[in-house]
Amino acid sequence: MRKIIVTSLAALLGIVNLFPFIFMLSSSFKPLGKIFEYPFRLVPEPFIWDNYKGIFGEQYKFALWYQNSAVMVVLTLALKCAIVSITAYAFARLRFRGRDMIFLLFLAALMLPGDATIIQRYVIYKVLHLTDTVWAIALPAAFDVYFVFLLRQFFLSIPFELTEAAIIDGCGHFRVFYRIILPLAKPALMTMILFSFVWSWNDFTNPFIFITNMDKQMLTVGIAMFQEMKSQNYALQMAASSLALIPVVLLFMFSQQYFIKGIATSGIKG
Amino acid sequence: MKKAALARSHSLRRQEQWIGYGFILPFTIGFIVFQLAPLLSSVAISLTNLSFISNLSGVKFVGLQNFISMAGDEQFTGALWRTIYYCFLFVPGVIAASLFFAFLINRNLYLRSSIRTAIFMPYVSNMVAIAVVWALLLDVNDGPVNALLRALGVENPPLWLLGEKTAIPSIVMIVVWQNIGFFMIVFLAALQNVPNELYEAAMIDGAGGFAKFRRITLPLISPTTFLLTITAIINSFQNFGPIQVLTKGGPGAASTTLSVNIYQESFVHYRIGYSTAQAIVMFVMILAITVIQWRGQKKWVTYS
Repeated sequence: MRKIIVTSLAALLGIVNLFPFIFMLSSSFKPLGKIFEYPFRLVPEPFIWDNYKGIFGEQYKFALWYQNSAVMVVLTLALKCAIVSITAYAFARLRFRGRDMIFLLFLAALMLPGDATIIQRYVIYKVLHLTDTVWAIALPAAFDVYFVFLLRQFFLSIPFELTEAAIIDGCGHFRVFYRIILPLAKPALMTMILFSFVWSWNDFTNPFIFITNMDKQMLTVGIAMFQEMKSQNYALQMAASSLALIPVVLLFMFSQQYFIKGIATSGIKG
Repeated sequence: MKKAALARSHSLRRQEQWIGYGFILPFTIGFIVFQLAPLLSSVAISLTNLSFISNLSGVKFVGLQNFISMAGDEQFTGALWRTIYYCFLFVPGVIAASLFFAFLINRNLYLRSSIRTAIFMPYVSNMVAIAVVWALLLDVNDGPVNALLRALGVENPPLWLLGEKTAIPSIVMIVVWQNIGFFMIVFLAALQNVPNELYEAAMIDGAGGFAKFRRITLPLISPTTFLLTITAIINSFQNFGPIQVLTKGGPGAASTTLSVNIYQESFVHYRIGYSTAQAIVMFVMILAITVIQWRGQKKWVTYS
């Protein structure tokens, strides 16, 4: 009996917690005039697709922004996997002078608040001609100290006997890394990929500062701009926002164990 | 024979040295360009009067002038106080709410993982999408929240994001809502590590639910609470994204915190030297909080 009461309380709170999403999705199928109907109707009456057709209409650039965001995320993930994993391999399984000092220096950078260096980064990207390109978002995100740290931990836990024999036999370190270590590190890489996907896809601040050309803009900033332009057309806003949420929600649905485990065991930053 | 093997291992070791440097080279270059250079150049720039509109020849070294000006700049001091206010609302809010949910979900209940997903969902969602929908939910005239309040008999429901006094609390409420999931998962992991025997022993001694919570749970999870508090404080300073999409620092300057003020100084007023100096103040504050907290940790954190 007690279990039922606790469950219903928790379920009720869960639904209240999800209400903004329910409201968003439901409203995206309603005509403009019905959105603020009180009391709230879960199932739109009439149920229409016009808002979704509307945002993909010729006068808006949603399809383009969607594509830009997708390209940016794929680039970020590819670069990050390559750079972070090989760096972590060196710190975990190679001996070279100054290794631990360099690693500590990298770790110290974790304390650096991103918001505090945004102007300098803007100036540097401008000088490197990165502003208004996808590289201004994808490139810096690939140098993620945090995941070097996590992957290093993971690589350290792989027994050294496993790779020693191969190295004595003359197998190069790159092959050891690529053929032995990386396949074993799949769960750790998966965690990195999933979190990075969510962070990159949702990133607002970086595209907002570093990209001004609306043809190069990402979806998040696009929606924010759209909200300003069409500030009265809530129905279109809801459709656009729902579309921005769908990729991460789907991804999360199918892989939540990775997210929960990643946070619970290593406290991946918030 | 033995000598040859030794020589071979020696050359392998030497080789390993260079392979090591080679492997970390790409990351090191990126680290220098994207992290170290912005940090070091900001120290230098904060001592100048650099501006986006003046040409480079007009740039002068002004010493600590930027830092001195801040003390008399009401825009800055106001932003500083609002940052602290935001922090004081956000940190207890997110810690209490996530601890509550962790506690609830840790109990014996049906549908545990579905309920956990429902609480966690906002954490992976897009801040802009969240801002767009909350702006509607909290719409002063037509929004469902105020419609409900009116139906309940509240005559003048709050202005929420549009009110001078309510803007920051409203933003904090939304950001807390978004972050509960993350904090809750970390708390859940800590709660599951509290040995069951302790509760059983306490029950035999006749301790009630609240006594158990206060005497056993809270002390045993205090290292986690401590760590999450630091995380929450540092997060609370990095609030540019949510505020920019929710209120842009308005109405007036009612929700202009340090990070928003720094953005406006540099990208609206083009005062780069001055805004960089403010960014350094923010950076030093975050560092100081970390240090103070680590020192204070010994006093009240119980390690089992």
